[in-house]
Amino acid sequence: MLAMLALIQNETLKLLRRRRFVIVISILTAILLIVSYSQYRILRDSAKRNWRADLQERIARAENMLRRGRASASWARSIRAEIGRWQFYLDHDIDPQKPNVPRFVRTFPNVAGSLLLLPLLVSILGSDIVSAENAEGTDKLLLTRPVRRWKILLAKLITLWMFATLTLLCGAIIAFLAASVALPSHGWTEPSFSGFQLANATVRLDAVRELPLWRDALIAYGLEWYSMMAFASIALLLSVIFKSSAASIGTMLASLIGGTILTHISPDWTAGKYFFVTALPLADYYTGEPPPYDGMSMMFCITLLAVWAIGTVAIAFALFTRRDVFG
Amino acid sequence: MYNPRSLSTLTPTLIAQHLTKVIGDRTIVDDVSFEVFAGEVFGFLGPNGAGKTTTIRMLVGLIRPTAGRILICGHDVQHQFEQAMRCVGCIVETPDLYRFMTGRENLAHFARMLGAGDDDIARVASLVNLSGRLDQRVGTYSLGMRQRLGIAQAMLGEPRVLILDEPANGLDPAGIREIRELLRELARTRGMSVFVSSHLLAEIELTCDRVAIIHRGRLLRTGTVRDLISSRRSLELRVGDVPRAAGILADHQPTIEGDCLLLPLDESAAPPLIAALTEAGIDVYRVAPHRQTLEEMFIEATGGETVD
Ligand SMILES: Nc1ncnc2c1ncn2[C@@H]1O[C@H](COP(=O)(O)OP(=O)(O)OP(=O)(O)O)[C@@H](O)[C@H]1O
Ligand SMILES: [Mg+2]
Repeated sequence: MLAMLALIQNETLKLLRRRRFVIVISILTAILLIVSYSQYRILRDSAKRNWRADLQERIARAENMLRRGRASASWARSIRAEIGRWQFYLDHDIDPQKPNVPRFVRTFPNVAGSLLLLPLLVSILGSDIVSAENAEGTDKLLLTRPVRRWKILLAKLITLWMFATLTLLCGAIIAFLAASVALPSHGWTEPSFSGFQLANATVRLDAVRELPLWRDALIAYGLEWYSMMAFASIALLLSVIFKSSAASIGTMLASLIGGTILTHISPDWTAGKYFFVTALPLADYYTGEPPPYDGMSMMFCITLLAVWAIGTVAIAFALFTRRDVFG
Repeated sequence: MYNPRSLSTLTPTLIAQHLTKVIGDRTIVDDVSFEVFAGEVFGFLGPNGAGKTTTIRMLVGLIRPTAGRILICGHDVQHQFEQAMRCVGCIVETPDLYRFMTGRENLAHFARMLGAGDDDIARVASLVNLSGRLDQRVGTYSLGMRQRLGIAQAMLGEPRVLILDEPANGLDPAGIREIRELLRELARTRGMSVFVSSHLLAEIELTCDRVAIIHRGRLLRTGTVRDLISSRRSLELRVGDVPRAAGILADHQPTIEGDCLLLPLDESAAPPLIAALTEAGIDVYRVAPHRQTLEEMFIEATGGETVD
């Protein structure tokens, strides 16, 4: 146990010294400051605007687009779901766009998850956590100390999980701070709605849950955290397979982008739902964004990610502990 | 302090038995066996591509032998990895350390894996004269400094066996001598077993007690440096009339080299030969024992090839 802590301390030191975490935090800060500023502009203009008229106009425009049949199947689903949500807010007389700090913090895991920002940051942190040692030749020393290989790999995985967790936490804190500069800070107990479901082109409202915003936020963060842990585990395998940092990070990014493209260009090929990338934006699915394929319930996504994570980690350990280490 | 007198009663600290490594259909290391005892510096000599590094990678558990086994301090490297590696410090191929960390952070990193403390870090740093530069990033080190840091790292935790792959690489003559003296000192006063590979014959000759010569993955011979040289001792005669002298000494199978005759004899056999030659009226200008250098023997044994 003590030995494990020493190994984790080593991995932490290396990750920090490589400046990976600094890069991740810088990216998060830059993005969140920009988004916060754009929210501030919305707030500034909100005195002039009538949100109800705004929403109605948007709904009309979206329905128009659906009628013209220009949207792809998966996009159309998204639009229908969105129309349903807007209609819901209109009916309940709630302005869903009113910017404040709690909502800004609440939205972060959804947006950062669905736009694959969080997986990208995890990739920066750890896609080369093993391959970098190989590329730099330090694995020869690391693996000739009196420590079994599985312990070294486990320490790396735990360190990666730790930093992925820290990234999400820092994201929440930076979102809070960036929003606090520009937006009103009250609203943690406002009602927040999630669980919108799309069935046969209409949004079902019977599954919609109303929670105080802070609890809703906790659930969204929890789900996004789970998805990041799974993603980090999958990244570990690529870093074991490849011998160079560029190859392992590149492959991870390509699979993220490839997975997204796949769902857009061939939504009929339903095997795509078994690809882990489609299951990653858990927070978004929780709120009510329809997943790209039928039959992708929350339970399905959570299980799929677990299967991928356990499978890839098992392969990573089998490879790493058995293979010959050449230069 | 280590007592060299007990050497003879010690069992070997590093034993390689019938090591073989096959990759694809190439046999890179072929049935290599040797033993290294406490208190000796053991040389592993071979040209480029002979299989030195591959053998070392097997010794320290980086690659799995196709056949054969390795015992370090009585522990099988494959089945008792942790116990075996606790007895070893090594450099494999190049002294790669984390360039983005300081020398001290690097040593601390590996010390933590051994449960060694700060005093051990200070000890090994002063052994290789690196104490003053320990707080600079390794990326700013010269090759020689990195080699020293590599050796320092290998000595963390006071291992009983030191395995160094071409430790003279990148060092200037003064640095090479310093390291040579350090290695001899470690073997003599602390009873460590030091295993060094090299393709430099002079280096091995000066540093090692015993040597194994490897070529194309096979051990050509193993023995003390002295034996491998003196067993090939011969007598060199510079005479006036070489063909006639060769005729007179035909019984001793002389070989002719320029105006000299080489005879596979010890110097004790010289007086009657000189008498026989002067009797026949042949001028004898010089009689000297000819010591075949390790280099000559090596070239002879490997057929003069350096690259496979
Ligand atoms: N991973 C590998 N796959 C195939 N062949 C290999 C591999 N690694 C080494 N070899 C081959 O094995 C042979 C021995 O290589 P090795 O690195 O052990 O030589 P060496 O004695 O250390 O040489 P040098 O003095 O140049 O360091 C070489 O011919 C090399 O091409
Ligand atoms: Mg080599």
